[in-house]
Amino acid sequence: MIEQRAVEPAQLFEAKKESQFITGSEAIREAIRRANVEMAISYPITPQSESMHLVGDLFAEGYIKEYFRGENEFAVMSSVAGAAMAGVRVFTATGGPGTLRAFEAFPTWAGARLPIVCAFMTRGVNSPLTIQPDTIEMAYMLDTGIIMLHAETAQDLYDMILRAFIIAEQTEVHIPVGVFTDGFFVTHTRDKVKIAPADMKLPPYDPYSSPVPVMDMENVPFRQMRDPFVMKSNYVSYAAHASWQQEVMAAAERARKYIKQYIGELIETEYPDADILLIGSGTAVSQSREAMAYARSEGFNVGLVKIKSIRPFPAQEIRELVKRAKVVIVPEFNRVGWLAREIKSVAEDTTKIVVGPHVFGGMTMPPGMILDEIRRTSV
Amino acid sequence: MLSTEYRVLRGPEGYLPPAAASMGVVLPEKGSALVEGCIVPKEDAMELIADKLLSAKNPFFFPGPLVLWAWKDGVVEKAKAIKEMAEAAEAKIIPMPDYRPKYPMINPAIEINPNHPNLTIWHNKIDVCVFIGVHCHYANMALKIIRGGTECYTIALCGEAGHEDAMISLRDVRVEDLKRMTQIIMEKKGVGK
Amino acid sequence: MKKNIFQISPSFYDVMPAEYRELVENGPFEKKVGVSDLGAFKELSEEHPLCAGCGLALSLRLILASLPNPEDTIIVGSTGCSAIAFPQVAVQNIHSLFGNQNAIASGVKRALTLRFPDKIKDVVVIAGDGATVDIGLDMVMQSWFRQERITTIMLDNEAYANTGGQESGMSQEGAVLHMAPKGKTFPKVSLPELARASGCVYVAAVNPAKPKKLEKAIVRGVLAARELGPTYIQVFTPCPTNYKFKPNETIEKIKMRVKEGTYETTEFISAEAQELFARLEEGKK
Repeated sequence: MIEQRAVEPAQLFEAKKESQFITGSEAIREAIRRANVEMAISYPITPQSESMHLVGDLFAEGYIKEYFRGENEFAVMSSVAGAAMAGVRVFTATGGPGTLRAFEAFPTWAGARLPIVCAFMTRGVNSPLTIQPDTIEMAYMLDTGIIMLHAETAQDLYDMILRAFIIAEQTEVHIPVGVFTDGFFVTHTRDKVKIAPADMKLPPYDPYSSPVPVMDMENVPFRQMRDPFVMKSNYVSYAAHASWQQEVMAAAERARKYIKQYIGELIETEYPDADILLIGSGTAVSQSREAMAYARSEGFNVGLVKIKSIRPFPAQEIRELVKRAKVVIVPEFNRVGWLAREIKSVAEDTTKIVVGPHVFGGMTMPPGMILDEIRRTSV
Repeated sequence: MLSTEYRVLRGPEGYLPPAAASMGVVLPEKGSALVEGCIVPKEDAMELIADKLLSAKNPFFFPGPLVLWAWKDGVVEKAKAIKEMAEAAEAKIIPMPDYRPKYPMINPAIEINPNHPNLTIWHNKIDVCVFIGVHCHYANMALKIIRGGTECYTIALCGEAGHEDAMISLRDVRVEDLKRMTQIIMEKKGVGK
Repeated sequence: MKKNIFQISPSFYDVMPAEYRELVENGPFEKKVGVSDLGAFKELSEEHPLCAGCGLALSLRLILASLPNPEDTIIVGSTGCSAIAFPQVAVQNIHSLFGNQNAIASGVKRALTLRFPDKIKDVVVIAGDGATVDIGLDMVMQSWFRQERITTIMLDNEAYANTGGQESGMSQEGAVLHMAPKGKTFPKVSLPELARASGCVYVAAVNPAKPKKLEKAIVRGVLAARELGPTYIQVFTPCPTNYKFKPNETIEKIKMRVKEGTYETTEFISAEAQELFARLEEGKK
């Protein structure tokens, strides 16, 4: 283990970086190595397992103080919640069926204002069984209250996970951050990733600036349940639960500022004034970028929008972009087209939005599929 | 999210008012404060707090657990400064000792609860209130309920990042800020000139 | 000198409601009080909405009075009747979801051990029979397999009481309850035996008709968990509302069941726990 010193987040994020040729799973390890994580809990599922093996190695080396394998994803997400309520910085990861097995925990993470960081390495869900890449689980996660960042590359994954802790732990935010990435396409492929020096790490988490009390009997009030049936209080208190939920949604709104500060804008654009816009997230962006290059070489006026933050959603930004474009194409790695739905929900004119192309069940998306859509809509 | 028009004003706003943060109101940076949803210099907000308290018919301070209990260094001093500020403003004090839903019901004459803060405000006919030392989550939860159902003007003196759901909110409030506000109040009352 | 979380800021002492002043002046924190002192000290729990004659409410009172170090105890509960009483309990406690209490507690215990390596931090799970033996059984047993240093207490009212009286794994065979309209078709689960086989270093089945015995089991269960490994205590807490007997008959019901041999009180002490208790007894002398 390399001796590490805790530095201000900005110092770590802006430190001179070294380029390494590593997999997405290894990028997670490098982020966690520098994140000053106190505890991590694991459970195997393809294609996530490797990342938590590597986090386990960090525990063995001494970078993490506590680590164990839980009994299933619901239990792991519960243990992670317990650890967060007791005031430590904690990390876990899952994907696909694991996400769904754990599902009940996620709204409680947000409701309990827990700054947990969880990586989701997405894959298809049964039935029939598949272990292949598919982003359908993100559709289910949209309304759990957690912040959702979608990494396109191993570099994104490294950057987003490291910064997720700082975003999640802001007092006025203090809700979980899920960093999603497309299983196999990112986790199991190698790419150049720029990484900060290993002798630096994030400053520790201060549980006592949490917007809710910590469960340690060292802070107040000591008469405190996290969290009670608020609606069982006095006869006029139905509003308490509603107000509580609004506050959790407000917390995600407040995260916008920190996402912008640490990750850049919620979206990235190339040729945003083009007639045809490809809007995507995750590796659908990589495929779209390639399709855009072909299309532009053929003379089509095509631009690209990469959505990095799914929750909070860049509603204002997308609305403006859609307004200017003639056609919007939304390629996705799932059968339901959840991103297209999101875009439609904020666009003024939804008739210009093409829902697709879609692939699913582990299929790759040849840029030609997107190119066909560009040609078809340009006729 | 898409509106820039929303203002955080004295209620009653309605059945279920929104979180101001979801209506586009953003928290101030260090050195600034929020007044009715707009960012203003901290000093201006302090002046306004003094005016609101002094012109109130029945102002109250609602200290929360973070200042009611001497759980860490500096709290006793902060509690003293809060009491002095309340006394200067001739405001009364009702505590929020914890956040539990309480059985069979609270006594609104002597306590306030974040799950139904409106009961205490109605019972005591409070027209201006000051939240201080309440954990941010519970403060926002209560501030929205107050805005929704009462005519009370809300002020939040926050030790962290502030509260969009209060009509006036300071952030990073330390003992010196409380003393400064006490001084402003005394000056406005014509005392200590 | 009291731990600072129990000290009221002097400036606000006069406005604090009496129940808090009483709690810090005459509560059980940092004192050696127990069930025999009930009535002579301010209890941890305030008024709660549980039914008249509730065996669970009575047991909870006794359990809270028995905790050896309430000032450093974190309780993890679960959905059910007890979850409605727990907001009134003056010990930091958690209700997360139905059945995940031992998974939550595992995270809490390990996190507190990291943060406070030199302090006592007792993590005590208190949940109902449905939460413990049905929906949460895998997480209960897995926490035992992993040798988590937590105390698991089941409040066994032999039904899902808060949802209106459905059959649980702890209901007796033949019991006619909701979701068992023709009577339960399999026997009451013997969780004490499973606990023992799963690695608990101390196991007891007690009831509130014998408060001193209950207290002893709780103290042992907490101390053994603190030093050695998982412990399990099952408390029989009959439910007059769903089993439709009079509220003043709760204790009689318990005595009757013990007498007829359908609710055994048991205690299992592992060799290492035996040694620990002997050492602690020795230390007291």
